[in-house]
Amino acid sequence: MSGHHDLGGTRTDAPVPRGQHAILPWEMRVDALMQLLSDPQRPGGALMSVDELRRGIESLSADEYRLLGYYERWLHSLIAVMAEKGVIERVALERRLAEVERAHEREHARRGER
Amino acid sequence: MTPRFNPGERVRVLDKFTAGHVRTPRYIRGKRGVVERICGEFRKPEELAYGRYAGEREPLYRVRFAQCEVWPDYVGAAEDTLDVEIYEHWLEKTEDKR
Amino acid sequence: MSLEHARYDRNAELLERAFRELLVERGVVSDAAVDAGVEFMYTRTPALGARVVARAWFDPGFKARLLEDGSAAVGELGIEVRSLKLVVVENTPMLHNLIVCTLCSCYPRMLLGLPPDWYKSLEYRSRAIREPRAVLAEFGLHLPAGMTVRVHDSTADMRYLVLPMRPEETDSLSEAECAMLVTRDAMIGVARVDSLKNVL
Repeated sequence: MSGHHDLGGTRTDAPVPRGQHAILPWEMRVDALMQLLSDPQRPGGALMSVDELRRGIESLSADEYRLLGYYERWLHSLIAVMAEKGVIERVALERRLAEVERAHEREHARRGER
Repeated sequence: MTPRFNPGERVRVLDKFTAGHVRTPRYIRGKRGVVERICGEFRKPEELAYGRYAGEREPLYRVRFAQCEVWPDYVGAAEDTLDVEIYEHWLEKTEDKR
Repeated sequence: MSLEHARYDRNAELLERAFRELLVERGVVSDAAVDAGVEFMYTRTPALGARVVARAWFDPGFKARLLEDGSAAVGELGIEVRSLKLVVVENTPMLHNLIVCTLCSCYPRMLLGLPPDWYKSLEYRSRAIREPRAVLAEFGLHLPAGMTVRVHDSTADMRYLVLPMRPEETDSLSEAECAMLVTRDAMIGVARVDSLKNVL
């Protein structure tokens, strides 16, 4: 781990940014997915721990860590951990993403025609 | 596991480098403080982070540090403190009263 | 062992959809469970924490139990705490508490909901432990030099809630009315609870 998440005491003169964005539905779903996957009450026990989520986040590169939004970091970590455990495969995810992207473009085009 | 340290005891955070996931921030490593309370027993993040959920539990402490000892250039009152949770395997006894 | 990450310059919303669809297809989660999880988080708001604070102001026995074992005391109010290990820290005329999580953004979400963006910001996480008084001043809270500042870094399994001081001139208010004065920021420690005079 490169430790770029370990921010305590890092010198910066930047003020604490006070803007608030409305949490988007997909962000809420990423949050919910994490709670479900790490729920010890689920049949067969938790599929992952919060420390695994953190390890996944901490293994992002410094640039990724800085550039990604909060729930984007979570999402990339969840995917990496689930792939590591063999719950999903990267190839299957890529294929599904391509389908989702195509469907999204079609939706977009339809809306554009109206 | 019987806790090795009691509330009020002085402890030092180990100053070691680790490559994997840990929950002991770098800024507090090597610093001395006083055990404020024992928080109960928990599994090690170093194990949990790699999918090992059945390891032994160990005591977790809240350790209180004087801010002016953590940050030599601290701006504030001499009584200002910082409480950090630290797992037992990251602590050692210290007699140093500094 | 290091984790391999997917390319990150993608539309997160579509990536979330693809990932979730795959998990649903594999029977790992259901859409209904995801929706229920989202719904549950919408029920977690600072109003829950405010109820706890107001009860502590009105009931000294409850306050003592809350400071002794936060999770058990909150459970008394019928608030679902799940695995929350709550530590409540009390502000006094001589002591001000401030909560941060420098390593990520641990937060008492069962009582306050999801953390605000500033709490998750790299700036707050970097600075709150090193220059708490300067950070508090940015939030408009100027503490006298004689007041002790105690910062809590939520590094491990505990979650923290500040028990703010009850403002003056609230003697005539009910517990529920007092709860309405208690803000999220006051329970994180970046604000005080204003007296009714300032709210009206």
